[in-house]
Amino acid sequence: MVEAELWAFIAVSSVAYMTPILLVTIGEIIAERSGVVNIGVEGILLASAFAAVAAAFFSGSAALGVASGALAGALIGALFGLFAVYLRADQIIAGLAINLSSYGFTVLGLIALWGHHGASPRVEAELPYFSLGQGSVPLLSLLALLIAAVAWLLLFRTRAGLALRACGEEPSAAYAMGVNVRLYRMAAVVLGGALAGLGGSFLALELAGSFTRGMSAGMGFIALANVAFSGWNPLPAILGAYVFGFLSAAADALQQEVGYAYLLKTLPYLGTLAAAALLGRRSIRPPQRLGVPF
Amino acid sequence: MAPLVFMKEIRKVYPEGTVALRGASFELLEGEVHALLGENGAGKTTLMKILYGELRPTSGEIYFRGERVSFRSPQEAMRRGIAMVHQSFALVPTFTVLENLYLAISSVRKVSQGEVRSRAAELGKELGIEVPLNARVEQLPAGMRQRAEILKALLLEAKVIILDEPTSLLTPFEAEALIALIRRLRAKGVSFVYVTHKLREVKEVADRVTVLRKGLNVGTLQARETSEAEMAKLMVGAAVERAKRRPPREVGEVVLEVEGLVARDEMGVERLRGVSFSVRAGEIVGIAGVQGSGQRELAEAIAGLRRPERGSIRVRGVEIAGKPPREARRLGVLYVPELREEGLALEMNIVENSILARQRGHARGPLVDWGSAEERARGLVERFKVVFGSLWDRAAALSGGNQQRLMVGRELSSRGALLIAHEPTQGLDVTSAEMVREEILRLRDEGMAVLLISSDLDEVLELSDRVIVLFEGRSVGELRGEEASIEKVGRLMGGAA
Ligand SMILES: Nc1ncnc2c1ncn2[C@@H]1O[C@H](COP(=O)(O)OP(=O)(O)O)[C@@H](O)[C@H]1O
Ligand SMILES: [Mg+2]
Repeated sequence: MVEAELWAFIAVSSVAYMTPILLVTIGEIIAERSGVVNIGVEGILLASAFAAVAAAFFSGSAALGVASGALAGALIGALFGLFAVYLRADQIIAGLAINLSSYGFTVLGLIALWGHHGASPRVEAELPYFSLGQGSVPLLSLLALLIAAVAWLLLFRTRAGLALRACGEEPSAAYAMGVNVRLYRMAAVVLGGALAGLGGSFLALELAGSFTRGMSAGMGFIALANVAFSGWNPLPAILGAYVFGFLSAAADALQQEVGYAYLLKTLPYLGTLAAAALLGRRSIRPPQRLGVPF
Repeated sequence: MAPLVFMKEIRKVYPEGTVALRGASFELLEGEVHALLGENGAGKTTLMKILYGELRPTSGEIYFRGERVSFRSPQEAMRRGIAMVHQSFALVPTFTVLENLYLAISSVRKVSQGEVRSRAAELGKELGIEVPLNARVEQLPAGMRQRAEILKALLLEAKVIILDEPTSLLTPFEAEALIALIRRLRAKGVSFVYVTHKLREVKEVADRVTVLRKGLNVGTLQARETSEAEMAKLMVGAAVERAKRRPPREVGEVVLEVEGLVARDEMGVERLRGVSFSVRAGEIVGIAGVQGSGQRELAEAIAGLRRPERGSIRVRGVEIAGKPPREARRLGVLYVPELREEGLALEMNIVENSILARQRGHARGPLVDWGSAEERARGLVERFKVVFGSLWDRAAALSGGNQQRLMVGRELSSRGALLIAHEPTQGLDVTSAEMVREEILRLRDEGMAVLLISSDLDEVLELSDRVIVLFEGRSVGELRGEEASIEKVGRLMGGAA
């Protein structure tokens, strides 16, 4: 039955499972700190997963796949920014548009490229990883942890981070102090999109090995919950993402042992939301002008 | 020699269609303090925001040291040495003072946070404008925020500093300190635009004065050679009279009774340390004191917006300390808060704001009776001379003075037993301030109990039948209206026994 060895294995493989959520969360924290909420991250995750698989499939290179996923994320982020930042559109509606159209376009893409509307063929391109105890950790997962630390430094220890946060707190004051508010917000959503795109690439190439329709499966929304849980801070976001990763890994490992596959698959979602709701620090305020166009 | 700044025939039409400036010109010479005087809504702030690059003119030309310029952002103006201290301050409230200073200065030149800190401390000491650099801006009183803004301008090595209604939130002492500071800086070669609607200040501080009326400059005068009457006439087009204190008709029973009130602010600092007094029907009790002596906590505690630590507050005999604001309203407490954003829902329109907290009187079953609501709003804006585009415009689109008139008007035209008026004439021009004071006197004569909290000492002395002076959260003196003089009250405000 379930033994210590299995738990150790789960604990290590959680690090891989948490990676997409963590990357999306960090990107969204950066965007929201600048005052822009992008619920389109769910769609970016999906579209970039598709872009990564397509690129890796035709080139045979995993690195090219990852790069294409990140680039796709950045481009969609830029498109979102064009509407939400420069044209002052409603951010929720712009995000919703991205989610809906990403789903549609990826299904069309599946049919166009592989003549199938359910899933792509498997991609053999492998991402680098190294082993740790009972499992192995992909290099990109370690990179994600590093990105969290760098994002924290950027937000809280640099002049650019201060200006970016000012855009989310009081954009008119920031503007009067010489900050180019729209440029900062645009840069934040593009960067946020690129990180979500990196997450999507990882999801498809490392965790799944192929693209299946709707494969983001609400992970983008879990990341949005994790943003609030973290108090808009990339470091606590690691903890939130790990809870999700751990429960996903546990559900995957246990379903071979105990069955109830469908029920187990809901565990990461329910568990993460419960953790976010119960453990979220109420004293932390969101950026004051979050969601308000400037 | 070319003037330092020359703005020629500036027109500004806001996107909503308001014509704020209709070809106004303005000239600033090197080393002068130039007052820009005008009624509320005359376009002073708009004109200066254009100079500061925050707004773009619809048409017109701007020359800086004789060279044609057109600033596309405040950053470009700041680079040329033009800084502006806004009426409603332009600081990020959730950041510390230091973070704000650093943000502003680093957007103009390369500098480290440590350098900003030491330079700010040094300058602050030299000029007597010390500001707690590590405090969050939202936790500072208005006077302190303004000092932070001036410090910011000085750190930017500004050659031109625009001060927009700088004394509207200051006590007389702070205002005097500010004027002394301006003199010192002028001697060092800094030029000032001093935007104001207060005639007295013009003579005190300015070398020249340009009067703006309805978006047009109607005259530029030497401050020394003109008189308040002449300026007032230019500004309003007619002479104005100050309200005179008059004895109350008839003082009735006690309406408000405060006993041993202790309250803390957001940071947990004890701001009220045992205050007791009462207000009777038909009298005005004025609260004087340096800003931050507990005025805000007092007003909020009575209005039900702050839970006091200890003590009792009775309105018409009913204990309301710690009860929700609904309870105070029910007993007839009318409240004009210090901050407009607390008294108005800025994102809602004028009609909605006119019936805020009075919706019951404008309901048809569960529905709002918009007809009667609009009628009320129309009556309000007429009586209190609110200048607006449409009644269905957001309150945020009104100028500060018009917001103030709307908010004060709503409270003063309601029925009640007790009025708490906190800075009721804040940001108002002479004429409308007098109108508001006159309305307060009228309510008193009709039997309302009035608690007037104001940092405008003249106003407190003019209106109050009794004056209570707060110092560090305690009442340090109570004077009858007739015996309260600026000197006596001023000494108590400074903490002298
Ligand atoms: N952001 C804005 N949008 C639309 N109208 C405005 C705005 N700011 C000011 N106004 C209008 O422009 C006119 C001039 O306002 P302002 O420059 O603030 O006057 P002052 O500073 O002299 O009181 C007023 O009628 C005001 O309602
Ligand atoms: Mg103004």
